[in-house]
Order: sequence, then C-alpha cells, then structure tokens
Amino acid sequence: MNAKALISDLQDYYLLSIQGILGALQRPFYGKDVIEQMDYAGAGSFFIIVLVSLFVGMALSLQLAAELSVLGLKMYTGKVVGISIIREIGPVAAALVFTGRVGSGMASELGSMVLGHQVDTLRVFGVDPVKKLVTPRMLSAFLMLPALTLIGDAASLLGGYYIAVFVSHQSGYVYWSSVREVLIFENVFSGSVKPFIFGFLISSISCYMGLSTKGGAIGLRSSTTRAVVASIIMIIVADFLLTRILLYVLGFSV
Amino acid sequence: MIVFDAVRFSYNSREILKDISFSVGAGERIAFLGGSGEGKTTILKLIMGLIRPDSGRILIDGEDITCKTEAQLRDTRMKFSIVFQEGALFDSLNVKENVAFCLREYTKMPEEQIEEKVKELLRTVDVERAIDLMPEELSGGMHRRVAIARSLAATDPKMFLYDEPTSGLDPVNADNICKLILDLSRNGKGFIIVTHKVFDAVKVADRFMFLYDGRVRLDGNREDLLHATIPEIQIFLSELRYTQEEKNV
Repeated sequence: MNAKALISDLQDYYLLSIQGILGALQRPFYGKDVIEQMDYAGAGSFFIIVLVSLFVGMALSLQLAAELSVLGLKMYTGKVVGISIIREIGPVAAALVFTGRVGSGMASELGSMVLGHQVDTLRVFGVDPVKKLVTPRMLSAFLMLPALTLIGDAASLLGGYYIAVFVSHQSGYVYWSSVREVLIFENVFSGSVKPFIFGFLISSISCYMGLSTKGGAIGLRSSTTRAVVASIIMIIVADFLLTRILLYVLGFSV
Repeated sequence: MIVFDAVRFSYNSREILKDISFSVGAGERIAFLGGSGEGKTTILKLIMGLIRPDSGRILIDGEDITCKTEAQLRDTRMKFSIVFQEGALFDSLNVKENVAFCLREYTKMPEEQIEEKVKELLRTVDVERAIDLMPEELSGGMHRRVAIARSLAATDPKMFLYDEPTSGLDPVNADNICKLILDLSRNGKGFIIVTHKVFDAVKVADRFMFLYDGRVRLDGNREDLLHATIPEIQIFLSELRYTQEEKNV
C-alpha cells in the first residue's frame, strides 16, 4: 500500500468514526438496531468471555502461586492476581475475545451487505448507512465491552480463587481479603476506562473495514482479516498508551 | 430525463467507461446490453448518484447530479426505482419487513395500514404467499419480485432501473419477470434494464444500447440491433438465433 492510499484510508476512517459518533446525537435514532446489536455483542459474547477469563485467571494464579511460594510469599497471590486482572489482563483479554467474535462479525456482515448491494439500497432509500449500520454497532460495543470486562474480571478472580485454594492450598479468606485490598478507586478506574476505548476502536475499525470491502469473497476475507488484525494491534498499542497516561494521571510512580 | 455527457469512469485504474454520451427521455424502454465488466451496472449506479464519474456530466431532469451531496441526491433518487441484481433484500428482515422498510422509515402509517399496503404490493408482484418468509427461503424469481415490491413502496418512480433482473432464473421465471417489467411500465413509466441476456432484452425494450470496451457501440431500435454487423453484437445475437432455431425445430 502506498503512502497516498494509506493517508486516504486513515482520513476515511476518521471521518467514519466521527460520523458514527455524531449519529448517536442526531435524529433519526435507531433504538431497535442498538438493542439488537447489544444483544449480539453482549449476551452473545457472555459465555465465551466468562470461559476465557476463567482460564486466564486460573493460569495466572497458577503461575504466581508457583513463583511466590518459592519466595514464601504465597499469601500475596490474591493481591497480584487482582491487580493484574483488574488493571491490565481483564480488559485486554475481553477486548481480544470481543474482536475475534464481534469485530470479525461486524466486518463480515457489513462487507457482505456492501457486496450484496444492501448498503447501496439503503442509500437509494435515503437512509444514511452510517447512522443505520455503524452508529448502533459503535454504541453497542462502547456499552457492552465494559460490562463484559467486568463480568470477565469476576470470572478471572474466581478462577484465581479456585487455584489458590484448591491447588495451592491457600486460605480462601486471605485470597479474597487481598483482592478486596486492591479494589481501590485507582485500580478500578484504570481497568474501567480501557474497555470503553477498546470498544470504540474495535467497532469503528471493524465497521470501516466492512464498509470498504471490495472484490467478492476474497475481498470479504481480506476485509475481515484486516479488521481483526488492525483491531488487535490497536488494542495493544492503545493499552500501552492508556496505561502510561493513567499511571501518570492517577499519581503512580514508575 | 437522463443525459450522460462525455462521462468517464475508472475503477482501480481500469477505465470502465470511456467518454460515454447518450440521453434518455421519460417513458423510454431501454436495454443496455454487453458482457460482464463492460460497465452496465456502473451506468445505473451513476444515474442514482451512488458513484461519481471521473469526468463528464450526468443530468437528471436538467440538473447536474455529479456535484450534489448525499442529502441533495435524495430527491433525485426518489425519481427512480432501482432493483439490484439478485434483489439486494435485507438478510435480517423477512419479506414483510423488507417491503415495509421505507413505509416505517418515512411515514407514520399505523401498523394495520402498513400491513395492508405490504400485502397490496406483494399482490401486485404475485408473491403474497411469501409474506412471512426470510430472503434465504425465497427462490431467485421471488427475490426479484419482492425487491420490485419493496422499491414500489419506497417511491412513486418516474422510471425503473433493473440490474440483470433475469440473470440466474429459469426461462419460466425469467419470462414472468419480463411480463412484470412490462406491466409496471404500462402507464407511461419508462425503464432501463441492463442485461447480458439479449433474448429477454428484446422482449421488453424498444431501444438498445450495446456497450463494448467502455463505449456505446450501438444505439438503436430492435431492427438496428438484429441487423448489426459488429462482431461482438453478432456473438450476443447468436443466443437469439439459437432460441429461434430451437423453436422452428
């Protein structure tokens, strides 16, 4: 891809993102579409997020318990698991799963609508495709990913608890006390801001890639792949930048 | 009603239309013929303002639409009713919801009235029995019919635009779609049909334009088409002769 095409793509992406956001503030509102998308993105992803998060929490707890027991610090397992999950791993893991399930779905659905002339049909009928298709998806991702992250965090902590108590033979009371200790504003805020940004990034990138689909089945495959790859890269980059900013804003010394 | 003035259009640096000029009056029944990738569908999209030409002007009722915004194009688009190839029905909506889409979007009709209107439109295109089916449950012919009903619900058009309305259909269904196209044009409403099926084109149209290599190679009536000596057109006409020979046998 040459520089001119890249700049043009970026410009189109920014424009679509802005129009998608503005669509939520201007009539007509497509409430039914938002609910449908929230159901698909939220309720539909519930099980997979819980499952993945549970095992992430278990693996993390296992690794930490093994390492900390060597140092005689097993009682800190809950604390380290709690901080890692709430501030970092929970939001990122949920966002990556969300990208794989919802982001790819958005890109392929919109791409298939483009190829099947359904988007052109909307334009012919005088319906703004951004408002009708992009805004509901952006809103649903923006609202549902934080909720799913919260549920995923809880599942991870539960997984960590299982390993700490039944495998590492620690006290359940100590584990939950340590977790409660890390549930302070700074940590919770730090972990709660990220999913909103990730939700916006995943939905806007996926919608853009879907709507710019060209060239039949191969084009659809390519746009779906690009949506997932670009979303994953942006999640990781944004996570680093957000972590840096939040640590600074919340007064943590590095 | 429609004027193309020196229109050029390229896609991915490939020039699809090279300096195309023609005009279409209201009520005309036109068929654009040509092979795949010759720009037939592109012409329909240009008329609807869905894509913009690289150069040249497109006038609809005297107004140049090439520099109009999406919002300004709405009135222009309402003059036409377009049926895309394979119907382009919304996958997630059933037949009733597809046809009711524009009624819900633009009118404040009560639900009973919408249902009545939908039934009436589906009756017009003879697919009332499919009202509760999903698009994937429809046959190719039913797909096109529902798409025509949906486009009628959207607007009271001056002209119909059909993109390959009979492609992929068996001869009986293709013939039924041709009859429907003629029925809808009875009260002086013209249409443009783009197709590579010359047999269907001669059934419905009075004027024929043949696209080849980005240019209009023929613009004439049925006689002009049937007696054209251009080799590319001859190849197309062979389908017609073959069908005729079969009938004689």
